[in-house]
Amino acid sequence: MQPHELRTRIEAGPLLLDGGLGTMLIREGLDHGKAPEWWLVEEPDRLRSIHRRYAEAGSDILLTNTFGGSESKLASMGLGGRCRELSHRAVELARQAAGQRILVAGDMGPTGLSLPPIGSASLDEIRDQYHAQASALAAAGADLLVLETVYDRREALTAIEAARETGLALLVFMTFESRPRGFFTLMGDPLVPTLLALAEAGADGVGMNCSVSSTVMLRMVQEAASAGVERLMAQPNAGDPLPSAAGVTYAADPGTFAADARSMLRSGLRVVGGCCGTTPEFIGSLRSVLDQPEAR
Amino acid sequence: MPTTSPPTYPSMQEAILSGDERCAAGLARAAIDSGLLALDIVEKGFIPGVKRSGELWEAGEYFLPELVASAQAMKAAMEVLRPHLETGSGWTGAARVVIGTVKGDIHDIGKSLVAALLSANGFLVFDEGVDVPVERFVTRAREVEARIICASALLTTTMGVQRQLVAAVRSARLDSKVLVGGAPVNLEWATSIGADGYADSAVTAVTAARRILMEAAHATT
Repeated sequence: MQPHELRTRIEAGPLLLDGGLGTMLIREGLDHGKAPEWWLVEEPDRLRSIHRRYAEAGSDILLTNTFGGSESKLASMGLGGRCRELSHRAVELARQAAGQRILVAGDMGPTGLSLPPIGSASLDEIRDQYHAQASALAAAGADLLVLETVYDRREALTAIEAARETGLALLVFMTFESRPRGFFTLMGDPLVPTLLALAEAGADGVGMNCSVSSTVMLRMVQEAASAGVERLMAQPNAGDPLPSAAGVTYAADPGTFAADARSMLRSGLRVVGGCCGTTPEFIGSLRSVLDQPEAR
Repeated sequence: MPTTSPPTYPSMQEAILSGDERCAAGLARAAIDSGLLALDIVEKGFIPGVKRSGELWEAGEYFLPELVASAQAMKAAMEVLRPHLETGSGWTGAARVVIGTVKGDIHDIGKSLVAALLSANGFLVFDEGVDVPVERFVTRAREVEARIICASALLTTTMGVQRQLVAAVRSARLDSKVLVGGAPVNLEWATSIGADGYADSAVTAVTAARRILMEAAHATT
């Protein structure tokens, strides 16, 4: 899908992404610490089934199981050399679940390479990683690309540069936290100037994902919308994480999540989805909210 | 060569706050050469800078890059000062911590954040980086007489190295306590491998490290 087509669709009416994929994979038995991309190889049927559940819950866009699908990330998780192959499998599986009506977005998360002073990677190395992954996803037939959970503005801008070479529409989410002086990434990038910079660099939709509950993300949405950020997007977590002996569960319920989403839409949000802890049930609640007349 | 007056403690604090490794190392060298006591240089010059860095982080003024840069400047100063500090014969200053991500694992953000926050809270941190073999944790801990070894592992495949580390620390008869962390690590795991503590965030890592020191202090009274 060309950038202007997606922009037109976004402006015409709010779009619904899917919910947590890692969350669902872990529920289905993915070992903690094991790369989700392994299931592209080992459990394709169960993976497809998860995509299908999101499709049935009402998602307009399904994200491929390639969050950690850059070559550098794959290599650190025992899947080195398989970026192209796994990108193809991932798009294929999502497409089988999506059918004709639902869009398939090639999903990209951080490369795992850190720029100074945290690490010693270069912008060129990072750009090459995104270029390879974006090209593979595009070649596999993804309708659009999604970049998410990046917390370094330099990495995000480099990724946009690389991804736009594919000619596909690109949606970009970054992860912000609530800090004493406002909303910032871990690296100190402030919310509004950063979102504007992402849009300026060519992202077709810009927004926030992960780390915070829908209630906190609502405040981010309000701040960004007031500042005039266009084609704004949000993918909150299902509340705050609650660690226990059994693992991590998330505090929020679909009702609260949906209510916050309704408020976000009223503030001007155009694309909504769910991140960690969210499930097809959450997406179903969002679908109901989006289908109400006043959501347009 | 004209003699210059010794570097001032505020200038050392500033080098830490601005994350200037070269300046911090240079000031440490000049301070030693001018005859200042290594202990004073650490405790009056550099540690206040690191503590201030931590305060700025809490206040939301400093972010991870600034915190890490401060920790790296501190590390540079300590590399100059360490030979001049009399270990084992009286320096009861900041507790030493060796930290790293275990062999086979290259995740570094969480580990770097813990290192920086520990540093900001007055610990002397020796960050061994990522992909650190058990032997290096043990050797370094022995060398600096570390009170605590912090080992991070983010993969189920590398968590096992934490178990090996605990065993190696015990058989080497080191006094160091082992604190483990990383996304898949939990209390159950930490207990099962005989670790002395576990932390699920950088902030709780500081709390856990402090608790370990306090328990050790109470044990000797």
